[in-house]
Amino acid sequence: MFKHAISELKEVILCLKAGQVTLGYPFEPHPPESGFRGLPRLDGDKCIGCGACANACPPRLISLDDQDGYRTIDFALARCTYCARCRDVCPQQALAMSDQFETATPSPGDLHITIKLRLVRCRECGAVVGTRRAVNKVLNEIPEKLGLPPEKMDWLDVCLSCKRVRALREAVLMAEVDS
Amino acid sequence: MSNRLLDWCFKKSIWVYHVNTGSCNGCDIEILDVLTPYYDCERFGIKLIHTPRHADALLVTGPVTRQVRERVLRLHQAVPDPKLVIAVGSCPTGGGIWHDSYATCGGLGNVLPVDIYIPGCPPRPEAILYGVAQALGLVPKHVEARTYVEE
Repeated sequence: MFKHAISELKEVILCLKAGQVTLGYPFEPHPPESGFRGLPRLDGDKCIGCGACANACPPRLISLDDQDGYRTIDFALARCTYCARCRDVCPQQALAMSDQFETATPSPGDLHITIKLRLVRCRECGAVVGTRRAVNKVLNEIPEKLGLPPEKMDWLDVCLSCKRVRALREAVLMAEVDS
Repeated sequence: MSNRLLDWCFKKSIWVYHVNTGSCNGCDIEILDVLTPYYDCERFGIKLIHTPRHADALLVTGPVTRQVRERVLRLHQAVPDPKLVIAVGSCPTGGGIWHDSYATCGGLGNVLPVDIYIPGCPPRPEAILYGVAQALGLVPKHVEARTYVEE
Protein backbone atom coordinates (compact mmCIF):
# COMPACT_ATOMS: atom_id res chain seq x y z
CA MET A 1 0.00 0.00 0.00
CA PHE A 2 2.71 2.43 1.18
CA LYS A 3 5.00 1.31 -1.65
CA HIS A 4 2.25 1.93 -4.15
CA ALA A 5 1.65 5.44 -2.86
CA ILE A 6 5.37 6.24 -3.17
CA SER A 7 5.51 5.04 -6.78
CA GLU A 8 2.47 7.16 -7.60
CA LEU A 9 4.08 10.15 -5.94
CA LYS A 10 7.19 9.56 -8.09
CA GLU A 11 5.00 9.57 -11.18
CA VAL A 12 3.41 12.87 -10.17
CA ILE A 13 6.86 14.44 -9.74
CA LEU A 14 7.93 13.11 -13.16
CA CYS A 15 4.84 14.57 -14.79
CA LEU A 16 5.44 17.95 -13.15
CA LYS A 17 9.08 17.92 -14.28
CA ALA A 18 8.17 17.27 -17.91
CA GLY A 19 6.42 20.64 -18.19
CA GLN A 20 4.91 21.77 -21.48
CA VAL A 21 6.07 20.09 -24.66
CA THR A 22 3.74 21.72 -27.18
CA LEU A 23 5.41 24.09 -29.64
CA GLY A 24 4.20 27.66 -29.81
CA TYR A 25 4.56 27.50 -33.59
CA PRO A 26 1.79 29.56 -35.15
CA PHE A 27 2.27 32.29 -32.54
CA GLU A 28 6.06 32.26 -32.49
CA PRO A 29 8.42 31.32 -35.34
CA HIS A 30 9.97 27.86 -35.47
CA PRO A 31 12.80 28.01 -38.03
CA PRO A 32 13.98 24.69 -39.47
CA GLU A 33 17.34 23.08 -38.70
CA SER A 34 20.33 24.07 -40.82
CA GLY A 35 20.48 21.92 -43.94
CA PHE A 36 16.71 21.96 -44.35
CA ARG A 37 15.74 22.01 -48.02
CA GLY A 38 12.90 24.45 -48.57
CA LEU A 39 11.65 26.29 -51.64
CA PRO A 40 14.49 26.60 -54.23
CA ARG A 41 15.71 30.12 -54.99
CA LEU A 42 17.28 31.08 -58.32
CA ASP A 43 19.78 33.92 -58.58
CA GLY A 44 18.89 35.42 -61.96
CA ASP A 45 22.19 37.31 -62.21
CA LYS A 46 24.27 34.13 -61.94
CA CYS A 47 22.30 31.69 -64.13
CA ILE A 48 23.81 31.06 -67.58
CA GLY A 49 20.93 28.92 -68.86
CA CYS A 50 22.97 25.77 -69.50
CA GLY A 51 20.08 23.47 -68.56
CA ALA A 52 22.10 21.16 -66.29
CA CYS A 53 19.36 21.42 -63.66
CA ALA A 54 16.72 20.39 -66.21
CA ASN A 55 18.71 17.22 -66.92
CA ALA A 56 19.10 16.35 -63.25
CA CYS A 57 15.56 17.07 -61.99
CA PRO A 58 13.72 13.81 -61.09
CA PRO A 59 10.15 15.17 -61.51
CA ARG A 60 11.22 16.99 -64.71
CA LEU A 61 9.79 20.31 -63.57
CA ILE A 62 12.38 22.52 -65.29
CA SER A 63 11.54 23.24 -68.92
CA LEU A 64 13.71 25.02 -71.52
CA ASP A 65 12.17 26.83 -74.44
CA ASP A 66 14.13 28.73 -77.13
CA GLN A 67 11.97 31.39 -78.77
CA ASP A 68 12.17 34.97 -80.04
CA GLY A 69 15.83 35.40 -79.18
CA TYR A 70 15.33 34.32 -75.57
CA ARG A 71 15.77 31.05 -73.71
CA THR A 72 12.95 30.72 -71.21
CA ILE A 73 13.63 28.43 -68.25
CA ASP A 74 10.55 27.66 -66.20
CA PHE A 75 10.52 25.96 -62.80
CA ALA A 76 7.06 24.51 -62.08
CA LEU A 77 7.78 24.05 -58.37
CA ALA A 78 4.35 22.62 -57.56
CA ARG A 79 5.74 19.12 -58.07
CA CYS A 80 9.20 19.78 -56.60
CA THR A 81 10.46 16.97 -54.38
CA TYR A 82 13.11 19.20 -52.73
CA CYS A 83 15.95 16.77 -53.52
CA ALA A 84 18.37 19.67 -54.30
CA ARG A 85 19.93 17.86 -57.28
CA CYS A 86 19.52 21.05 -59.33
CA ARG A 87 21.57 22.91 -56.72
CA ASP A 88 24.24 20.20 -56.73
CA VAL A 89 24.74 20.20 -60.51
CA CYS A 90 24.55 23.98 -61.08
CA PRO A 91 27.99 25.08 -62.37
CA GLN A 92 27.30 28.70 -61.39
CA GLN A 93 25.93 28.09 -57.86
CA ALA A 94 22.90 30.06 -59.00
CA LEU A 95 20.43 27.77 -57.23
CA ALA A 96 20.05 27.55 -53.47
CA MET A 97 17.56 25.84 -51.21
CA SER A 98 15.99 28.45 -48.96
CA ASP A 99 14.55 27.64 -45.55
CA GLN A 100 11.09 28.79 -46.59
CA PHE A 101 8.55 26.09 -45.79
CA GLU A 102 5.40 28.23 -45.57
CA THR A 103 4.57 27.63 -49.22
CA ALA A 104 0.86 26.81 -49.02
CA THR A 105 -1.14 28.57 -51.73
CA PRO A 106 -4.64 28.41 -53.22
CA SER A 107 -3.21 28.27 -56.78
CA PRO A 108 -0.16 26.24 -57.89
CA GLY A 109 0.63 29.01 -60.38
CA ASP A 110 2.29 30.89 -57.51
CA LEU A 111 4.97 28.21 -57.37
CA HIS A 112 6.79 29.23 -60.54
CA ILE A 113 10.22 30.69 -61.24
CA THR A 114 10.72 31.96 -64.79
CA ILE A 115 14.00 33.25 -66.18
CA LYS A 116 14.59 34.63 -69.69
CA LEU A 117 18.13 34.80 -71.07
CA ARG A 118 19.32 36.09 -74.44
CA LEU A 119 20.30 33.50 -77.06
CA VAL A 120 23.25 33.39 -79.43
CA ARG A 121 22.44 32.02 -82.88
CA CYS A 122 24.88 30.42 -85.31
CA ARG A 123 26.24 33.08 -87.63
CA GLU A 124 26.17 30.67 -90.58
CA CYS A 125 22.92 28.73 -90.31
CA GLY A 126 20.97 30.51 -87.56
CA ALA A 127 20.56 27.49 -85.27
CA VAL A 128 20.71 28.05 -81.51
CA VAL A 129 24.25 27.85 -80.09
CA GLY A 130 23.52 28.71 -76.45
CA THR A 131 22.78 31.65 -74.25
CA ARG A 132 24.88 34.80 -74.49
CA ARG A 133 26.02 34.34 -70.90
CA ALA A 134 27.20 30.77 -71.53
CA VAL A 135 29.16 31.85 -74.63
CA ASN A 136 30.70 34.76 -72.70
CA LYS A 137 31.67 32.42 -69.87
CA VAL A 138 33.58 30.19 -72.31
CA LEU A 139 35.13 33.24 -73.94
CA ASN A 140 36.37 34.56 -70.59
CA GLU A 141 37.60 31.34 -69.01
CA ILE A 142 38.79 28.90 -71.69
CA PRO A 143 41.62 30.87 -73.39
CA GLU A 144 43.32 31.42 -70.03
CA LYS A 145 42.95 27.83 -68.87
CA LEU A 146 44.07 26.16 -72.11
CA GLY A 147 46.44 28.85 -73.33
CA LEU A 148 44.57 29.23 -76.61
CA PRO A 149 45.17 32.27 -78.81
CA PRO A 150 42.12 34.58 -78.75
CA GLU A 151 41.66 34.45 -82.53
CA LYS A 152 40.70 30.76 -82.21
CA MET A 153 37.67 31.82 -80.18
CA ASP A 154 35.81 33.26 -83.18
CA TRP A 155 34.37 29.76 -83.62
CA LEU A 156 32.26 30.20 -80.53
CA ASP A 157 29.17 31.59 -82.24
CA VAL A 158 29.06 28.75 -84.78
CA CYS A 159 26.80 25.76 -84.15
CA LEU A 160 28.12 22.20 -83.92
CA SER A 161 27.24 21.05 -87.44
CA CYS A 162 28.59 24.22 -89.05
CA LYS A 163 31.79 23.81 -87.00
CA ARG A 164 32.27 20.33 -88.50
CA VAL A 165 31.83 21.63 -92.04
CA ARG A 166 34.22 24.49 -91.35
CA ALA A 167 36.84 22.25 -89.79
CA LEU A 168 36.72 19.90 -92.77
CA ARG A 169 36.93 22.75 -95.26
CA GLU A 170 39.94 24.29 -93.51
CA ALA A 171 41.70 20.94 -93.36
CA VAL A 172 41.17 20.47 -97.13
CA LEU A 173 42.48 23.97 -97.80
CA MET A 174 45.54 23.30 -95.64
CA ALA A 175 46.16 20.04 -97.49
CA GLU A 176 46.03 21.86 -100.84
CA VAL A 177 48.49 24.47 -99.57
CA ASP A 178 50.82 21.75 -98.31
CA SER A 179 50.82 19.92 -101.63
CA MET B 1 -21.48 36.60 -49.63
CA SER B 2 -20.25 33.00 -50.01
CA ASN B 3 -16.90 34.01 -48.51
CA ARG B 4 -18.58 35.49 -45.46
CA LEU B 5 -20.69 32.38 -45.10
CA LEU B 6 -17.53 30.24 -45.30
CA ASP B 7 -15.82 32.44 -42.69
CA TRP B 8 -18.75 32.05 -40.37
CA CYS B 9 -18.94 28.29 -40.88
CA PHE B 10 -15.24 27.68 -40.26
CA LYS B 11 -14.82 30.06 -37.32
CA LYS B 12 -14.98 27.20 -34.85
CA SER B 13 -13.41 23.76 -34.97
CA ILE B 14 -12.90 22.02 -38.27
CA TRP B 15 -12.92 18.26 -38.42
CA VAL B 16 -10.78 16.73 -41.08
CA TYR B 17 -11.03 13.42 -42.87
CA HIS B 18 -7.73 12.04 -44.10
CA VAL B 19 -7.71 10.44 -47.57
CA ASN B 20 -4.71 8.54 -48.90
CA THR B 21 -4.90 8.41 -52.68
CA GLY B 22 -1.80 6.37 -53.42
CA SER B 23 0.63 8.32 -51.27
CA CYS B 24 3.97 6.84 -50.17
CA ASN B 25 2.97 7.46 -46.50
CA GLY B 26 5.54 10.25 -46.07
CA CYS B 27 2.84 12.93 -45.89
CA ASP B 28 0.59 10.66 -43.81
CA ILE B 29 3.29 10.40 -41.16
CA GLU B 30 3.66 14.19 -41.11
CA ILE B 31 -0.11 14.49 -40.65
CA LEU B 32 0.15 12.13 -37.69
CA ASP B 33 2.93 14.38 -36.34
CA VAL B 34 0.56 17.34 -36.43
CA LEU B 35 -1.84 15.39 -34.22
CA THR B 36 0.76 14.58 -31.54
CA PRO B 37 1.03 16.71 -28.37
CA TYR B 38 4.22 18.28 -29.75
CA TYR B 39 2.35 20.15 -32.50
CA ASP B 40 -1.09 19.66 -30.94
CA CYS B 41 -3.49 20.83 -33.63
CA GLU B 42 -6.45 20.07 -31.37
CA ARG B 43 -5.82 23.35 -29.56
CA PHE B 44 -7.16 24.98 -32.76
CA GLY B 45 -10.11 22.60 -32.85
CA ILE B 46 -8.68 20.61 -35.74
CA LYS B 47 -9.54 16.99 -35.19
CA LEU B 48 -9.13 13.85 -37.26
CA ILE B 49 -12.47 12.17 -37.80
CA HIS B 50 -13.18 8.73 -39.20
CA THR B 51 -16.23 9.31 -41.35
CA PRO B 52 -16.51 11.79 -44.21
CA ARG B 53 -20.11 12.57 -43.24
CA HIS B 54 -18.94 14.35 -40.07
CA ALA B 55 -16.01 16.11 -41.74
CA ASP B 56 -15.55 19.76 -42.73
CA ALA B 57 -12.37 19.22 -44.70
CA LEU B 58 -10.76 16.52 -46.80
CA LEU B 59 -7.03 16.16 -46.21
CA VAL B 60 -5.81 14.46 -49.38
CA THR B 61 -2.33 12.96 -49.84
CA GLY B 62 -1.00 11.10 -52.87
CA PRO B 63 -1.08 11.69 -56.65
CA VAL B 64 -4.66 10.30 -57.08
CA THR B 65 -4.19 6.98 -58.83
CA ARG B 66 -6.67 5.90 -61.47
CA GLN B 67 -7.97 3.16 -59.18
CA VAL B 68 -8.77 5.56 -56.35
CA ARG B 69 -10.25 8.38 -58.46
CA GLU B 70 -13.83 7.07 -58.21
CA ARG B 71 -13.54 6.69 -54.43
CA VAL B 72 -12.20 10.23 -54.00
CA LEU B 73 -15.12 11.62 -55.98
CA ARG B 74 -17.57 9.62 -53.84
CA LEU B 75 -15.85 10.80 -50.64
CA HIS B 76 -16.09 14.38 -51.83
CA GLN B 77 -19.82 13.91 -52.39
CA ALA B 78 -20.21 12.39 -48.93
CA VAL B 79 -18.77 15.45 -47.16
CA PRO B 80 -21.53 17.94 -46.32
CA ASP B 81 -21.32 21.49 -47.72
CA PRO B 82 -19.55 23.84 -47.13
CA LYS B 83 -16.36 21.84 -47.38
CA LEU B 84 -12.64 22.43 -47.76
CA VAL B 85 -10.33 20.30 -49.88
CA ILE B 86 -6.72 20.44 -48.71
CA ALA B 87 -3.97 18.88 -50.85
CA VAL B 88 -0.99 17.83 -48.70
CA GLY B 89 2.34 17.20 -50.41
CA SER B 90 3.86 17.61 -53.85
CA CYS B 91 1.91 14.67 -55.30
CA PRO B 92 -1.63 16.09 -55.03
CA THR B 93 -0.29 19.59 -55.75
CA GLY B 94 1.38 18.94 -59.10
CA GLY B 95 1.53 15.18 -59.52
CA GLY B 96 5.02 14.81 -58.01
CA ILE B 97 7.34 12.37 -59.75
CA TRP B 98 4.25 10.68 -61.19
CA HIS B 99 2.93 13.78 -62.96
CA ASP B 100 3.03 12.10 -66.39
CA SER B 101 2.37 8.50 -65.34
CA TYR B 102 -0.50 6.61 -66.99
CA ALA B 103 -1.54 5.23 -63.59
CA THR B 104 -2.26 8.59 -61.88
CA CYS B 105 -4.46 11.59 -62.57
CA GLY B 106 -1.43 13.89 -62.19
CA GLY B 107 -2.56 15.74 -59.09
CA LEU B 108 -5.74 16.44 -57.18
CA GLY B 109 -6.46 19.62 -59.15
CA ASN B 110 -7.42 17.48 -62.16
CA VAL B 111 -10.07 15.64 -60.14
CA LEU B 112 -11.57 17.98 -57.51
CA PRO B 113 -11.79 21.74 -56.88
CA VAL B 114 -8.97 22.27 -54.35
CA ASP B 115 -9.03 25.10 -51.79
CA ILE B 116 -5.43 25.01 -50.64
CA TYR B 117 -2.27 23.29 -51.85
CA ILE B 118 0.49 22.49 -49.34
CA PRO B 119 3.61 21.55 -51.36
CA GLY B 120 6.51 19.67 -49.79
CA CYS B 121 7.92 16.19 -50.05
CA PRO B 122 6.76 15.72 -47.35
CA PRO B 123 5.72 19.15 -45.98
CA ARG B 124 6.89 19.96 -42.45
CA PRO B 125 4.19 19.60 -39.79
CA GLU B 126 4.45 23.38 -39.36
CA ALA B 127 3.77 23.80 -43.08
CA ILE B 128 0.61 21.70 -42.76
CA LEU B 129 -0.56 23.80 -39.81
CA TYR B 130 0.21 26.95 -41.79
CA GLY B 131 -1.68 25.64 -44.83
CA VAL B 132 -4.78 24.76 -42.84
CA ALA B 133 -4.66 28.15 -41.12
CA GLN B 134 -4.41 29.83 -44.53
CA ALA B 135 -7.39 27.83 -45.81
CA LEU B 136 -9.33 29.20 -42.82
CA GLY B 137 -8.23 32.74 -43.69
CA LEU B 138 -6.14 33.29 -40.56
CA VAL B 139 -2.71 33.91 -42.15
CA PRO B 140 -1.63 35.57 -45.43
CA LYS B 141 0.01 33.85 -48.39
CA HIS B 142 3.82 34.04 -48.53
CA VAL B 143 4.72 32.76 -52.02
CA GLU B 144 4.39 34.38 -55.43
CA ALA B 145 5.61 33.63 -58.93
CA ARG B 146 9.03 35.11 -59.69
CA THR B 147 10.26 36.25 -63.10
CA TYR B 148 13.71 37.37 -64.22
CA VAL B 149 14.43 38.81 -67.67
CA GLU B 150 17.96 39.55 -68.90
CA GLU B 151 18.28 43.04 -70.37
